[in-house]
This record gives sequence, C-alpha cells and structure tokens, in this order.
Amino acid sequence: MALEQPVLTKRIPTEPWGRHEDRHYVDYNEYVKTGGYQALDKALQMDRTAVIDEIKAAEIRGRGGAGFPAGMKWSFLPPVDGGRRFLAINADESEPATFKDRLLIDYDPHQVVEGIAICMYACQLDTAYFYMRGEYHDQRAILERAFKEAYDNGIFGPNSRLGQINGRNPDLFLHRGAGAYVCGEETGLLNSLEGKRGWPRIKPPFPAVAGAFARPTIVNNVETLACVPHVMENGPDWFKTLGKGRPEGAPPHVPASFGTKLIGVSGPVVRPDVYEEHLGVKMSYCIEELAGGMLPGMEFKAAIPGGISMGVLTKDEYDAPLDFDIGKPYGILGLGTACITVIPEGYSMISCARNLARFYARESCGQCTPCREGTEWLYKILTRIEAGDGTTKDLDLLLEVASSMGIMPGTTICGLSDGANWAVRTIVNKFWDEFEAAVKKNRFVSLSVANNNN
Amino acid sequence: MAWITKNSAGAHIERQSEPYLNDEMKQELTPVVDRYPRRQAASLPLLHAMQEKVGWLPPQAIEEIADFLEVPASEVMDTASFYEEFWLKPKGKYVIWLCQSISCEIMGEPSLTDRVAEFLDIQVGETTPDGKFTLMKVECLGYCGDAPCGLINEDIQQKITPDNFIEVLKNLD
Repeated sequence: MALEQPVLTKRIPTEPWGRHEDRHYVDYNEYVKTGGYQALDKALQMDRTAVIDEIKAAEIRGRGGAGFPAGMKWSFLPPVDGGRRFLAINADESEPATFKDRLLIDYDPHQVVEGIAICMYACQLDTAYFYMRGEYHDQRAILERAFKEAYDNGIFGPNSRLGQINGRNPDLFLHRGAGAYVCGEETGLLNSLEGKRGWPRIKPPFPAVAGAFARPTIVNNVETLACVPHVMENGPDWFKTLGKGRPEGAPPHVPASFGTKLIGVSGPVVRPDVYEEHLGVKMSYCIEELAGGMLPGMEFKAAIPGGISMGVLTKDEYDAPLDFDIGKPYGILGLGTACITVIPEGYSMISCARNLARFYARESCGQCTPCREGTEWLYKILTRIEAGDGTTKDLDLLLEVASSMGIMPGTTICGLSDGANWAVRTIVNKFWDEFEAAVKKNRFVSLSVANNNN
Repeated sequence: MAWITKNSAGAHIERQSEPYLNDEMKQELTPVVDRYPRRQAASLPLLHAMQEKVGWLPPQAIEEIADFLEVPASEVMDTASFYEEFWLKPKGKYVIWLCQSISCEIMGEPSLTDRVAEFLDIQVGETTPDGKFTLMKVECLGYCGDAPCGLINEDIQQKITPDNFIEVLKNLD
C-alpha cells in the first residue's frame, strides 16, 4: 500500500505529490504558516517524562542505520545533577549511496530544528551540536540561516521558549567535520566534536552516561529527529499506523518497523532522488514506481539496499521489503539508511566489491589492527582478482579475512569493519559463480593488463 | 588513509614574523571557542577558518592555534593530520575532488577521471606546475542521486559529463 500523505516531505515537493523542481528552502515564517513549531508548543505544555513516553510509545527507531529505538536511548540518561548535558545531531552522512539527510537540511531544516528543541526540552539537554560532514559546503549557509531564524524567534538563546535548562540558555551550534567517514560512528563523532581525531571509543560507557566532554549526551540522526515533531503533533498511535509494523506473531517487546522512511535511489534509474514511503515498501516498487525504472537499455542486476555496509540483494530478491527486519531472511546486515544503489547488468560484481573494499581501506581510522590491516588486505585481494591474477585460494582467504573482523566476531571497537565484512562477504557469496569464473581465468590476462598500463 | 603517519622528522619549518592567527582573527573566533566547554573542542572550526584564510595549514599556524587553545601543538597536529580535508602542504588554487564511490563509479567516474587527468596532464593527487589545479579522488560526497559528482573547491558539480566538466575547468581563471 502506497503512502497517502507525505510526512517528512510534507513541505518538500517529492514525487508523487509534487515535482522536485519546485523544491525550495522553507524559512521560519513559511514553516510556522504550514503548522510548524506547534508540536514544540504542545510538548512544552507537557511534562518532560510524558514527552519521552510518547516517543517511546511511538517506537521510533533510529534512522541512521543501526535502528536503535530513540525513546529508549532518551530514557537511558542519568538523573539531572546540575551539570551540562549535550545533544549531538549526527549529520555526518558519509555512507556511500546515502543522501537522504541532505534533503532535510537543504529544504526543510526547521523540521529538524523543531525535533532538536523537543529532544532538548524532554531530556534536559542544554547544548546541541549539529555535526555535519565537511563536504556539505552549501548546506553550511543554509543551516546557519535556519539557526539564526530559530534564535531570532525564541527557540534558542536568551529568550528561548524552552526556558533555562541546567541553568543555561539552550543553544544550538553547527560543528563541521572535515572528511572522515568514521566520525559518523557515534563515539567517533564525539571525539571529533571534542577536537580530537575521530577515533571511536570503547563502550561502555555509552554516550548517554558519559559522552561528549564526559557528560551525558544523546546522539541522534537527522531523520530520527525530524520524525519527532510529527509524533508529538499526531500522537504515537497515528505514527504506528504507518509502516509495516511488528513482524507477524511477534510479542510486543520485539522492535518493529513503524513510520515512514526516506529512501534514496541512485544508479542508472530514470529519476534518481530521495522519496518517502512506508517502512516495509518493496524495493521493486521504489525502483520501478518511484524512480521510474531502469534507464533505457539497462537491466537490473543487483542492488545495495541501504548504504554499502549492508550487503547486496540479487535479482531474485528484487521484491525485498525495506524494513528493519530485512536482515535475516535476505542474508544482509540490516536496513541501514535505506538508500538503494542499483547495479546494472554488465557491471562486474568484482569491480563493485573492489570499490567497496577500497572505501573501507581508505576510511578505516587505524585504531584496531584487524580493521586497519584487514580492509587493506581485502582491497588488495579484490584488485588482484579483478586484474585476473586471483586464485581459488584467494576467495577462501577473502572470506576468512572478511569474517574475522568487526564487532560481531569481537575484534574491533566500532562497526566500520562489520560493514566491510558484510559488504564483501554477501557479494562474494551471492555472486559466487562470477568470482569463481574470474579466478579460473587464464592468468596471462593480468600481464596484458600490466603491459597496457605501462 | 588517515592513519598513515607522515614522515616529518627533521623537517624544516618555515616561519614568518607576522602571525597567521592575528588579533583580529582571535577576536572573531573567541565566540566560537566559547561554544564548547573545553577549548580544544574548537580545533576543527579554527583549522577550517585558518585553511579558508591561508589556503592550507602551515606548521606555524598549527602552533599558533595550539597556543590559542592552550593545548600542545602535537594535539592540534594530531587532529589536523587525521582529517582528509585539511591540507598540511600547499595545494592548487582550485582543488578538484572527484567522487569515486559506488554510485559515481557505476555512472562513469573512471572515464571522467581519466579525461580530467589527461586534460590537466597530472596524476590524481598532484598539482599542476602552475599551481592552478590539484586533482583528488574522494569517497562519497553525498550527491549520489546526481552521479557522477565532484567538487571544485566548495562548489558542487552534479551529473558531470567529461566534456562539460572540462569546459568548466577551461573557464576558471
């Protein structure tokens, strides 16, 4: 069932409700005129714990990739002790093929700002840092403008309608990263915020207990916070009518897929863009109906459903539903950011795996040996196979190296190498024939490649 | 690869008598430092500001930032060397960043890079002898829907075709 009314893209014209050519920056006045900041006013009338209970009841799961319930994260905060408490907004969005948060920042930043204000009120956080990746240059001016409008209209600053929090005026600042994927990991982000290299920290302590500057900190994704005003305005029951819901027959404590999701489609499709749909929408629907199908002359071969770390879906899995339970039945890591990259027929999966492995080799922060050495090793093996120099043994080695790094085998601090692990392993396993054919090829090929390059 | 250590032992540090971080800049940046409970947290904003002003991060500027933030210079150097966007050596007037991640590669980045490298007559990572262009390859820029994409300094270029892009480069002065 297709989504009837846009939620997050209410003010951002998006097919099928509008044309993306009509998109424009929604300023404070326009935002208020279209019902904005009412959710904040409603929240301010309520008790702080009641606001957290609403978010908990709506079961919003984090939209940044991990899918951790936001309300639960908020309730992990220790009791107020008079010291400072922080909010860090994760807009690092460096996962290849992911570009959904940019849509919210570009056109409707006040929606996010409202979510930030509600979160700060409910969790009693006095300062929010909007951590945005350094490569988003245009978005810097947009956010600075939106933040200024928010200050001028009494959302933050000395005249804030949130009142004083922890004895301070609530503040929202932009903090720009400088080009490091690992800073999207929440503790890496906190280290980067503290002016250090973006090395992820060992957990526990979790950020809610000791995060930025060793004080309680909430780290939330942009899209997660953008969902918050809608829940406050329409109530958790309304939110739960959206999305696929709980898996059939599952008890109520099993995390479910409620709400809508921004879905980016990229690759050789007619209309690559960000769309909004129910969680649980079929991938085929996103590619064919929303993005207009494949470009003429192109045929679908495979797709990476949610940022490259999640793994790959084949032609047989074309109808996979994009919800938080996608992982197990389809043998991938999870939903991730739900931004689909379509891989066309004719593009080698070995090149694809090599591209992904290079990404992790380049972005590994170098803290844990299995990741620092392993990602580079995977890249070397895949480059070798691509050049025609691979052996059958290389495939075994590849799988062994891949499966021994990450949080799940328990050898690294953060999940970066889990991404490398799953991306490479699912591609090799699901396209085994292609890899096998490549390693069995005549080995003179590589010499001719080498000669051509010289 | 942020973790590769750069050989700096015995490097000669060029110094100038005029400070990079002058009083005017300090005054301008004091509110930024005040945003954070610890002064060191302002490293990234200060390094960004310095790079915008000077074009890169000379060692002397890093020392001055460290003094201003009341931390050892090695701490600021540690931070600056970790991030890809900070330049510890001079770069060209225009830095061309071409995205090489999956969506852009599928949509034709390899041939684009080849054409641009051929046009500028340099390899990826090099600067033209006249100091005008530096060519870099970078991982995902977040414009996957408009692949292939790239940055010329801070300007995003979307749905690049080699011919159009070279036209753009020709028109830069």
